[in-house]
Amino acid sequence: MGDVEDPDLISDLPQSILESILTRLPIRDAVRTSILSSKWRYRWTTLTHLVFDDKCIRMCSDRPVVENCMVNFITRALFLHQGPIHKFQLSTSYLQCCPDIDQWILFLSRSDIKELVLELGEGEWFRVPSCLFNCKKLTCLELFRCEFDPPPTFKGFLCLRSLSLHQVLVAPEAIESLISGCPLLESLALSYFDSLALNIRAPNLKYLCLEGEFTDICLENTPLLVAMSVAMYMNDEMAECFEQSSKCNFIKFLGGVPRLERLAGHIYFTKYLSIGDYPGSLAITYSHLKIIELYQVSFEDMKEIRVVLRLIMNSPNLKELRISGSSTAVASVEAPNLEFWAKECPKDCTFKQLKVVKMTDMSGVPHEMEFMKFLLANSPVLETMSITPCVYVMDGRLNMLIQLVRFRRASAEAEIIFTR
Amino acid sequence: MSEAGMTVVKPQMKSYIWLQTADGSIQQVEEEVAMFCPMICREIIQTGMGSSKNYAISLPQRVNPAILGLILDYCRFHQVPGRSNKERKTFDEKFIRMDTKRLCELTSAADSLQLKPLVDLTSRALARIIEGKTPEEIRETFHLPDDLTEEEKLEPLRNITDDPRIRLLNRLYARKRKELKEREKLKDVEVEEERADDRSVEDLLSFINGADGDSKGCRTSKNKKKNRRKKDQSKDSSSNNSNENQKKESDTLPSACPNDEVSDILAASPSRTSNSQDFDDAGIDDDLDPAKMEELDREVEDFARRLNSDWPERMQEILSLGPERRLVSMNVNGSLRRYSGLDRR
Repeated sequence: MGDVEDPDLISDLPQSILESILTRLPIRDAVRTSILSSKWRYRWTTLTHLVFDDKCIRMCSDRPVVENCMVNFITRALFLHQGPIHKFQLSTSYLQCCPDIDQWILFLSRSDIKELVLELGEGEWFRVPSCLFNCKKLTCLELFRCEFDPPPTFKGFLCLRSLSLHQVLVAPEAIESLISGCPLLESLALSYFDSLALNIRAPNLKYLCLEGEFTDICLENTPLLVAMSVAMYMNDEMAECFEQSSKCNFIKFLGGVPRLERLAGHIYFTKYLSIGDYPGSLAITYSHLKIIELYQVSFEDMKEIRVVLRLIMNSPNLKELRISGSSTAVASVEAPNLEFWAKECPKDCTFKQLKVVKMTDMSGVPHEMEFMKFLLANSPVLETMSITPCVYVMDGRLNMLIQLVRFRRASAEAEIIFTR
Repeated sequence: MSEAGMTVVKPQMKSYIWLQTADGSIQQVEEEVAMFCPMICREIIQTGMGSSKNYAISLPQRVNPAILGLILDYCRFHQVPGRSNKERKTFDEKFIRMDTKRLCELTSAADSLQLKPLVDLTSRALARIIEGKTPEEIRETFHLPDDLTEEEKLEPLRNITDDPRIRLLNRLYARKRKELKEREKLKDVEVEEERADDRSVEDLLSFINGADGDSKGCRTSKNKKKNRRKKDQSKDSSSNNSNENQKKESDTLPSACPNDEVSDILAASPSRTSNSQDFDDAGIDDDLDPAKMEELDREVEDFARRLNSDWPERMQEILSLGPERRLVSMNVNGSLRRYSGLDRR
């Protein structure tokens, strides 16, 4: 194109590239490209990914003005939009419970929406309208701070692959039936729930992320689960009612996940697993489990130690282990049963693939040291073991080091890194 | 086969692929580097080309030798499997630093070779260039022609900022355009229809002030007399008229605004957009020749100057800053009315 002036550099790129550029711009800049030149006019209106956040509009201190501005912007952008919308994200703290959002969701339900993310502000929670449940093609749903109440005729989202509910007010039966009603569900994240008891039946589930107070979780049917991250909060009442329970939580949680590759447990997870009568042996081997992370393990509780041992001994291909302690160096209630290590712990157990061990927040209590000794003695290919003492432990560090130095190492390559 | 079977013994046997760019020049490249490009890979596998100089693979037209060099550098780095993500990222950041023209050529070439990671990288870089710039800056960076009329430029913004001054200006533009068009038609048509125009001055003014339904009606009717009268009215008392308009507009603005807000979204939007469709690209550009366009622009500028002495600067400001909620007082020639501040809720 021989022009007298410089030729246009960019407007003749293929539509797919221009769309990809416009998608990467904040929505406000994308809309403004409409006035650049005739070739750019209304080019943004066919974007299939729309992300609206606090950057859409000019900030000012007057909150109702900001809300108004935002509602106007989004409404008009949707009105000017042409074609299907596959992804719609609304992340703002300025809008909470606002009738316009209902209308937008209605509009989206008619536009073949596939991914919907609603992240609204604190305050009165937005009640999800029933038209959301008509979005047949939904593959990904993320809700923050909403009320979620499916109608009784709702059977599930048949195409849903990913579901995330954070601080969502919903009846437990509704969640269970929602999960069971989404046959293609691969990724599930539930957080900030209070006292939730859940049976998870999801034959295609691969990724699970739970955070909150869960009274009773049973992974009834999750044979394909690959990665799991659980943060279990507990209050005292729950702990008491747990003590009485005889069902083994370990089996209920980890009894049906043979393909697990990565496990991360936070806060009271190991304690939760330790509750219940353990039948004595585990029918399942976690042959794909490569990385185990267990945080806030109390090495003063024999049951928790047993859980940890059980896990690592049934994972022949374990490569990386991270443990953080939550013991205090203050004198424990009972004298530690160190005989356990000598008598009950199997001698012929070898961690054939274990290469990296990271232990943090160590207080130097006897069981912690015995555990380290156990690992060092049974890991022939260990490369690094790094130990970070708890910040509150000052005097005990020397003691820890003295003990560490004595431990036999099965691996000639092993490096022990003690970080201050 | 004898070329591939080595007669010269080299410590490391590498096979090369031959590539030909649109200008005819031929390059040879290590096989694993070339295979990183899906399009070249496919060509080699499906057609067997590329193994010698005579059978070089022809690359798409958008790939010139310099850009090809860049692309091969990219492929050479990334096809090595052992690199960490951090290394790759660092390389990408450095690689992407080039002038805009090159970047666009690179994007185009990478797209034609279907090298998706590079297309993503360059798209991201282009988006970063565009982000945060004013329209003028973007036009300058990419040499975009400034071929939208003033009204068209205001349109999409108007919908989003809802600034009443912009709306006012658009109405005046619309009226001006209409008048010019009618004047054109007057010159062509001999026969006049006899039709009494018994609309009062108030009606005409209310038309100007935004009864868009009416405007559609009078636009389609070809009543020259009425138009001429309207035109005369506007012509000989144009300054008064505009002042009156100003006053009326200002009068109605505060009260109209809250209602406007609501009706905006539902009712006025369709009529506004339909108005804009009247002045669509195709329609206007076909009817008016460049001389008329110039005249129109001049008249509009006149109007604008009358509205506010520093309008162009103000306009720039509005366009670049986005929604401006407060109106500064409007200085209108001859009118003593000062309109200060429009308070939205």
